[in-house]
Amino acid sequence: MVTLTIDGKKIEVVEGITVLQAAEKLGVKIPTLCYHKALKPQGACRLCVVEIVGGARRGLSASCAYVVEDGLEVKTDSERVIKARKLVIELLLLRCPEVPEIQKLAQEIGIDQKRYERFQPDQENCILCGLCVRVCEERMGVGAINFVGRGSRRKVSPPFGNISDVCVTCGACQVVCPTGAVDLAKVSKNEPRPIPAEFDEGLRPRSSIYIPFPQAVPKMPVIDRTTCMHFLNDACKACENFCEAHAIKYEQEDEIIEVEAGSVIVSTGFGLTDPTIREEYGYSHYANVVTSLEFERILSASGPYQGHIRRPSDLSEPKRIAWLQCVGSRDPSIGKGYCSSVCCMYATKEAIIAREHDPEVKPTVFCMDIRAFGKGFDQYYERAKKDYGVRYIRCQISKIVEKPKSKNLFIAYIDEMRGVVEEEFDLVVLSLGMIPSETSRSLAHALGIELNPYGFCQTGSLSPMETSRPGIYVCGAFQAPKDIPETISQASGAAAFASEIISPARGELVTTKELPPEQSIAGEEPRIGVFICHCGINIGGVVDVPAVKEYVKTLPHIAYVDENLYTCSQDTQTKIKEVIRENQLNRVVVASCSPRTHEPLFQETIREAGLNKYLFEMANIRDQCSWVHMDKKKEATEKAKKLVRMAIAKASLTEPLHEQELQINKRALVVGGGAAGMTAALGLADQGFEVVLVEKEKQLGGNLRDLYYTIHGNNIQEFMHSLIEKVHSHPLIQVILNGVIVDAGGFKGNFKTGIMSGPGMAYRKVEHGVTIIATGGEEYKPKEYLYGQDKRIMTQHELEGKIAHKDIDPKDLQEIVMIQCVGSRIPERPYCSRICCSSAIKNALKIKEINPTAHIYIIYRDIRTYGFLEDYYTKARKAGVVFIRYDLENKPEVSLEKEDLRVSVYDPSLQETIVINSDLLILSSGIIPRDNEELASLMRLQRTQENFFLEAHMKLRPVDFATEGMFLCGLAHSPQSLDESLSQAKAAVSRACTILAHDTIMVGGIVAHVEDEKCAACLTCVRVCPYNVPFINEQGVAQIDVAICQGCGSCAAECPGKAIQLQHFKDEQIITKSSALFKENVA
Amino acid sequence: MAMSLLTHSDLEKISKQGLDLLYPPKTKITVGMATCCRASGADEVVEAIRQEVKACLSDAVVTTTGCFGICQKEPLVDIVRPGWPRLVYAQMDGKRSRGVIQALAENKIIPKHILCKIEKETNLIENTVRLYPLNGLPEGIDQVPRYEEVPFFGKQQKLVLQNCGTINPDSIEEYIAVGGYRGLYKALKELEPEKIIQEVLQSGLRGRGGAGFSTGMKWRFCRQAKGEEKYVICNADEGDPGAYMDRSILEGTPHSVLEGMMIGAVAIGAQHGVIYVRAEYPLAIEKLSLAIKQARERGLLGANILGSGFDFDIVIERGSGAFVCGEETALIASIEGTTGEPRQRPPFPAQQGLWGNPTNINNVKTWATIPLIISRGAAWFSGIGTEKSKGTIIFSMVGNVQNNGLIEVPMGRTLRELVFDIGGGIPGKRKIKAVQTGGPSGGCIPESLLDLPVDYDKLASVGSIMGSGGMVVMDETACMVNVAKYFLSFTKDESCGKCTPCREGTRRMLEILMDITGGRGRPGDIELLEDMSRIIIDSALCGLGGTAPNPVLTTIRYFRDEYEEHIKNKRCPAGVCKGLFEFYVASDVCTGCGLCLKDCPSDAVTGEKKEPHRIDPHKCIQCGICREVCRFNAIKVR
Repeated sequence: MVTLTIDGKKIEVVEGITVLQAAEKLGVKIPTLCYHKALKPQGACRLCVVEIVGGARRGLSASCAYVVEDGLEVKTDSERVIKARKLVIELLLLRCPEVPEIQKLAQEIGIDQKRYERFQPDQENCILCGLCVRVCEERMGVGAINFVGRGSRRKVSPPFGNISDVCVTCGACQVVCPTGAVDLAKVSKNEPRPIPAEFDEGLRPRSSIYIPFPQAVPKMPVIDRTTCMHFLNDACKACENFCEAHAIKYEQEDEIIEVEAGSVIVSTGFGLTDPTIREEYGYSHYANVVTSLEFERILSASGPYQGHIRRPSDLSEPKRIAWLQCVGSRDPSIGKGYCSSVCCMYATKEAIIAREHDPEVKPTVFCMDIRAFGKGFDQYYERAKKDYGVRYIRCQISKIVEKPKSKNLFIAYIDEMRGVVEEEFDLVVLSLGMIPSETSRSLAHALGIELNPYGFCQTGSLSPMETSRPGIYVCGAFQAPKDIPETISQASGAAAFASEIISPARGELVTTKELPPEQSIAGEEPRIGVFICHCGINIGGVVDVPAVKEYVKTLPHIAYVDENLYTCSQDTQTKIKEVIRENQLNRVVVASCSPRTHEPLFQETIREAGLNKYLFEMANIRDQCSWVHMDKKKEATEKAKKLVRMAIAKASLTEPLHEQELQINKRALVVGGGAAGMTAALGLADQGFEVVLVEKEKQLGGNLRDLYYTIHGNNIQEFMHSLIEKVHSHPLIQVILNGVIVDAGGFKGNFKTGIMSGPGMAYRKVEHGVTIIATGGEEYKPKEYLYGQDKRIMTQHELEGKIAHKDIDPKDLQEIVMIQCVGSRIPERPYCSRICCSSAIKNALKIKEINPTAHIYIIYRDIRTYGFLEDYYTKARKAGVVFIRYDLENKPEVSLEKEDLRVSVYDPSLQETIVINSDLLILSSGIIPRDNEELASLMRLQRTQENFFLEAHMKLRPVDFATEGMFLCGLAHSPQSLDESLSQAKAAVSRACTILAHDTIMVGGIVAHVEDEKCAACLTCVRVCPYNVPFINEQGVAQIDVAICQGCGSCAAECPGKAIQLQHFKDEQIITKSSALFKENVA
Repeated sequence: MAMSLLTHSDLEKISKQGLDLLYPPKTKITVGMATCCRASGADEVVEAIRQEVKACLSDAVVTTTGCFGICQKEPLVDIVRPGWPRLVYAQMDGKRSRGVIQALAENKIIPKHILCKIEKETNLIENTVRLYPLNGLPEGIDQVPRYEEVPFFGKQQKLVLQNCGTINPDSIEEYIAVGGYRGLYKALKELEPEKIIQEVLQSGLRGRGGAGFSTGMKWRFCRQAKGEEKYVICNADEGDPGAYMDRSILEGTPHSVLEGMMIGAVAIGAQHGVIYVRAEYPLAIEKLSLAIKQARERGLLGANILGSGFDFDIVIERGSGAFVCGEETALIASIEGTTGEPRQRPPFPAQQGLWGNPTNINNVKTWATIPLIISRGAAWFSGIGTEKSKGTIIFSMVGNVQNNGLIEVPMGRTLRELVFDIGGGIPGKRKIKAVQTGGPSGGCIPESLLDLPVDYDKLASVGSIMGSGGMVVMDETACMVNVAKYFLSFTKDESCGKCTPCREGTRRMLEILMDITGGRGRPGDIELLEDMSRIIIDSALCGLGGTAPNPVLTTIRYFRDEYEEHIKNKRCPAGVCKGLFEFYVASDVCTGCGLCLKDCPSDAVTGEKKEPHRIDPHKCIQCGICREVCRFNAIKVR
């Protein structure tokens, strides 16, 4: 070790490092230009000179090249040093007046421009620091460039001023150049080959060492061996010099890990269709034709253009943007006969976001049908048209032509009113379809599971998560193209299958974490430790973290403050624990990112150090500061100080809170005995949990009773009977028929529900830990199209029953009309019922099967045969079923004249009205939820406007209710097909098991607490509580059960007597925290 | 194959052979054939002499030697004839030399061509004097001055140059005859390495390359540095404008440099020697190569030198014309085959030098001094010179001085003695203005400081440096701003460009000087120059940049009024900077000789013979030829 003094501060450092490195350790900043961590120091630019005032050789010396010596005494800011630095900057500014890096340095060091006015500045970009030369030689071992000429004629050049043919265009020179002076085209004979960033779809380049995508787990960089200069040329290894943790391991190899498992879930997701598959769209040669995923990145704030909408050819802002739907979908000619299910919605979403980014954007979507079949999707589609002016044109585009000069794109299409129209666009987005992910075929082979003709995983239509091999399950887009909610449901469902197999072994591998006893802080003054996070450059790049740190030191109660590159990293957690012990901290504040994502981690950390987890407080200086004030660094730093100050003020008043452990009742209540309810009940029972299944009818089965065959040909009745049989015979399932829920109470793990059942309406109380709502839906009974006035007019359900019961013989029928969207997608019921299109096609095909000569007309608005259902649509058209489109403004008209059942409809493509004399009129009526109002109010469950039950999160928690411990599935959730219902039921099982699998839960902590003396029993809290928690107890005061209180704070806010305080958010704490915003010293 | 030397008697044997060559029992005609001699026509002379000797003096020996120092009088031809003193014929040409040989054939001399006669010669190593036996002196020899009587020689004290211009550089025997390789013998056989270093330390020898660092200290650092292999390097990349001391030594007495390096290698423990000599010195390279070959043949280089078990060899590396390669670290980089650019010290070459090994670099003159010190002892050497600057110093004195040439004087002589006694003063009745020492890194010393004794510290005290020995004498026709501009333009061109202050700073300073000499100077320019100079000196990476502003600083220091005159009045008082002055004829001095009229390229001079002439300022292009040719200093400036 060597001891030296820098600016009066002594420091002990290892031998061999330079003065610059030693200074860095002390936090002394020395400006550099020709220095680079990965390169040998040159000491050439002389910007880093320091004054050696004690040691063998005194005077100015370049700190980057001066190796520390024992007893060395250095000054980094003496007058001599500053003078020398100024001269360097002044001279370089004369050489490169336009280079921002130099201008910045000039501003920082403050030079007197006047003195140098006598000189004529040059217009160079290169400051001759030589980094490019050195990296090429030292690191890349190429030496394609070097200095030529001497003195003021010095410049960087390949040999003899020719462009180099040894240059490998690795681009290292460009990377290290501080002034952007390297133009590879002037250096190299070879074409630069930027490595396209996969995550940004190649719209920008990435380096060879990179984090594949921002959400990578673990979030660690990887080395791309196919582009890394070290692996290609045995060169570089620069990363090694930068990584202070010495984490770079070049010798690391792929490992084969063997895992023993009871079951396997395959969720390999999807890939995108090759955009060049439709050559006529010019993706490979028109710069401004992009894929939908590329456009997704263009829209992203973390994308290639930082969220500004630009087009690739000239980075200008496109205004006229077109989306071309079904590129690689619904196209049997290229072997992609299926519908990718999600493109209509993502195109709509992209159009809306583009418009939100730039109100001048005029989005146009060219489509065949719009398939907005998901929950709430049609409403979204309507908003796109009305509120965002998204134009939907029903036309498939045959080709795109680029205008060479402007790189704009021409699209010719057929307008139903105007005929062939040619329109110019600035940017065209190809809405690419989904294909199975690249490796799925080999994986399927390895796993021995079958694939369908399109290469997706083959499953049974009534067993959508079971592959051809028992024990191997599938979920997500590998099973079929699907959107996020269905994917998430299926994922949970697959988990249910998987855990069913291994449920006997549940809990065997669990190890309980040993925690130190919680230390008492009673009577202690607050000793607050503050950890401020750089979050890489997320915070540190904007907020002056060291300044915040210095500021925090001036605040009261601060016992420790430090800054970290990543406070959430494992080593920092270890450090925090040590610091807590060493400094006897009794409060901890972390100023970093969002408590939503990281508070639990830090709470756990301080708990591991023996502190109550509620003694933790967090300031969000990233999402709420550095990210939103990126361009105002100074102000952001000030704001960060205030945010931290507030957190510290609050922390000084925080108290330990204690949670209670409650036993969990391991019984489940399933409400509804249809397909979903029965499946859920069986699922839970098969995992070993008791189930009470309540059905309000006298028998199980629900809608299945009226269904006979699926579009794939499965026998529904058989399926139903087998299901009912299993339910009835399962020892853990208790079925209550004719059951009605009459009261409900309790909370997650400990519900109490009152049920009246049987002919005598006997009352019984069921205690259960979870509830699954599967109350289902039913077919809408139409009021439209003369329904009920003629027996030839019926619904699809009715038709199916009549065919099954042979009440109707299709052989007798010649003309059959089906009208779609009856009672759906209308202002009173704006949602799409999702299954009616496939029901109509199912029945049409059934009729055609029996009577191929029958004429079937399906009058539709959009055919929504998503996924593989599209094959049946194709089949129907091939079978001669006629599809006639109608608009809401021109609904078909039905009249009964004498015996004639006449349907007339305006066909927009023929632009004339067609009149059909029909033998049968089938109304494809939508699905409405069953009457669930009472249940919703008893159990305090939220519903959509259409009275379907509302899940906790449309995308990410599709089968959870907002109320913990309650789940939903089946038609009670939204219109869906049988197999989708079954998936959801399994998903609900899986979610319910996350609670039932535990023996106890922790409750309390952040809950409301009543001070009895102040309570006037005014009932305000009882009324405002959204969870029905407070009640007036025997003492005549409000009581709040800590186990059910969700800590929302509504009662505390409303209580007129201030009798209620929400723990951890007490009035005093909140007032102190907000006062800290305005005053510096409140704590 | 020549025999390998092993013992002292072996050396004595060779020495005897050498003496026979040096002083043969018959007539020996020696022609100075160094580069300077050749430049003034020595090739023609030696050819003529050979022919003439063949024709009329067949028993005479014709041989060659190096530079004798008085380059102004070259070509020189020495005649050594038994019974005569050594005669030095000067300013020979083909015709004259034929005459000399013809006269010699008749036992005659031509006194008017003889510069001096040498009656005794000193063997410094053995501390003996050899007298020329005199009998049968030729007629007219009395008119010939003795060597000691010629002021140019008389005031000098030749140590390093003692044998230069006397012995034949191609003959190792002659070098051994004058005491050569005795120092090496002593170093290998009689002294411990530490004792050698002790001797060098005590001698007070300071590096003759310019910086003047203690040679002994430098050796000690290198000896103490850890490293299995070590190097000694001779820096022969002489690059100062007007300096050629090193070249003359290499051409005149190459073995003294080799011997010095060998002794250094013994002391330091080096196995490898490199002579880095600029490629523009082909003759020096030739002489060195031959010397190395001879030394190897005699077992003085290679394995087991003098039977001592010590191995050492020397190779020659040619530098290709970058001034900065005279800087140690740049020189090493150049040898290593990379761009000859300096790097920051520390680490010093003694710690990390050639190929990363401990390396000691000394200048040619330093190495050539070593054999003397080891042979004669530190006490003898430190008896010469001043308190802190020991020994002699070699200058190549050029410029506006009568006797241009190579001189060696003990430290402590005044500049005035050098310029006026040895140099013979200023030609053409003009006044001396300044003496520039130290080359482009040095400074200009004004006339008022001419009585300054010359040593390292005294020169530094007035803002100049000793440098490697360049000395330029300037008379009143020198514009000091222009002088500064000249030197700065040299350093600006020779700056490698690696570090910012030197590359960009010298260039910008030169721009200011160009402005001043072009009449575009601005108020504040002097201060700006001073300021930039100081910071560049302080912050540049190597010695080149760190001294480049010296000429500017010293000229401002001593001739500030000249700068001000240029800036304020747009006038060049010395009459050099075009457009800033006017030539006129001082009618009271002009004799009307007509020389200026004859040589004026623009017909600006008019006047009758023997009448004062006139210069028409409108026609005058200010070339200065009139002033140059005027023997009466009648052309004045206003």
